Amino acid sequence: MSTPGNDDPTVPVGAPRAAMMAALREGKGGLDSVARAGRACVELLPVDGVSILMTSGTEPGEVLFASDEVIDRVESLQFTLGEGPSFEAVGTHRPVLVPDIATDPASAWPVFATEISQLPVGAIFAFPLQSGAIGLGTIDMYRRRPGLLTHDELVIALEIVDVMTQILLGLAGTGRDADIGYVWLEDLPHHHAVVHQATGMLIAGHAVSARTALSRLRAHAFVTGRLIEDVARDITTRRLRIEEIQT
Amino acid sequence: MPPSAERESQLLHAFLELADILVDDYDVAEVLQQLVERCVELLDAAAAGLLLSDQRGGLQMMASSSERARLLELFQLQSNEGPCLEAFRSGEPVTVADLSTEVERWPSFAPEAVREGFRSVHAVPLRLRRQTLGALNLFGSEPGQLDEQDMRVARALADAATIGILQDRAIRRGEVLTEQLQNALNSRITIEQAKGILAHAGGLEMDQAFELLRNHSRRNRARLGELAHQLATGTLHPDELLAARQ
Repeated sequence: MSTPGNDDPTVPVGAPRAAMMAALREGKGGLDSVARAGRACVELLPVDGVSILMTSGTEPGEVLFASDEVIDRVESLQFTLGEGPSFEAVGTHRPVLVPDIATDPASAWPVFATEISQLPVGAIFAFPLQSGAIGLGTIDMYRRRPGLLTHDELVIALEIVDVMTQILLGLAGTGRDADIGYVWLEDLPHHHAVVHQATGMLIAGHAVSARTALSRLRAHAFVTGRLIEDVARDITTRRLRIEEIQT
Repeated sequence: MPPSAERESQLLHAFLELADILVDDYDVAEVLQQLVERCVELLDAAAAGLLLSDQRGGLQMMASSSERARLLELFQLQSNEGPCLEAFRSGEPVTVADLSTEVERWPSFAPEAVREGFRSVHAVPLRLRRQTLGALNLFGSEPGQLDEQDMRVARALADAATIGILQDRAIRRGEVLTEQLQNALNSRITIEQAKGILAHAGGLEMDQAFELLRNHSRRNRARLGELAHQLATGTLHPDELLAARQ
């Protein structure tokens, strides 16, 4: 059953959802579901990599799944800079579709756009995952070849967003697809812990708010050309003293 | 009752209005009140009432088109008998053309209803597949039954209300649990920040800082997350924990 405008009569609308659900049912639930759904996404769309992030407060936070090193690097870069398409998607509650990062004027994340030119990323698509007013995370896709998603591809992407949202809700124990599986807090990635610890040290050392402390950490990382996790690790192991971070 | 073409138009308008309310941000209580009022306007009913389950097995009066109807619904609940309760428990509609003949069936309710000026009743369950949420009661002041079309309209309105209620509950349940997860995640971040604060202030390793935090939380019966939040926002000074070390 094909839909008008669907060039491929063998892919009915609803098939992406069915394909993802089939992949999920074979899994162990919890984070395994996130990974399976992420991998299914790379199969279903003309993209080279996918990552799924959880929001923490009002920002994109921990990476739950990254399909390759490139997208993992993209996320580290966004987290280091505190800006990027995922940040914009979370802030505006709308998808951020960038067909060609090299040439599009990225007004919301100029520094990120410059830094990312070192990576083989042509197009980026960031979709917020939300339940009503609550932001749960984002699903980010990249492709080496620039270009937009077609209308049909966008339809598939939005179906994937819907399934992924249910998976994240499932992690909290609320998903309507009950066999996706609840996950314990301890099992969720906590890779940013060292960054939060370093933030705490800065809060005490500089007598500033958490927000200011994180900004200074990010600024130092950017100026020294390093990822924020690495700077944070140096701070918590005292290889880098708090006094060396600019106020 | 208004003539046919006008009535069709009113029915259409009522459904569109209900649909509009349901797709937007809505207040369930308001939707149910609208529902019972529309029933009285559009159908051959003198009054309407609606009972809704409280999700613990009990029923509550949620909406009524008039004070008399409200009292009658409450009366059903108090005397634990009546068409609304039956419709709710059975999940099937209950129709009575003349309440004065149902004294054996409902020894308290039937006479009371007749005293209040109601002779007939049609109770529609609020049901979605196997779940019955409550019931909608339509009272007539004359003996007789609603015609086929009115019964269908009543059921359609009840179905729309059922979907709206379930959707609202699902969204709110999702929101509560998601909020809980979000709070737990935020708390986790604050605890890491608090470790950093204590580590710097006391020249500690992160593990030692966490020990300090946990011991203080136990001794003072303060929640870990709350303690961390106080340290992170400056409400509590790290020295207070460092000084209290044995």
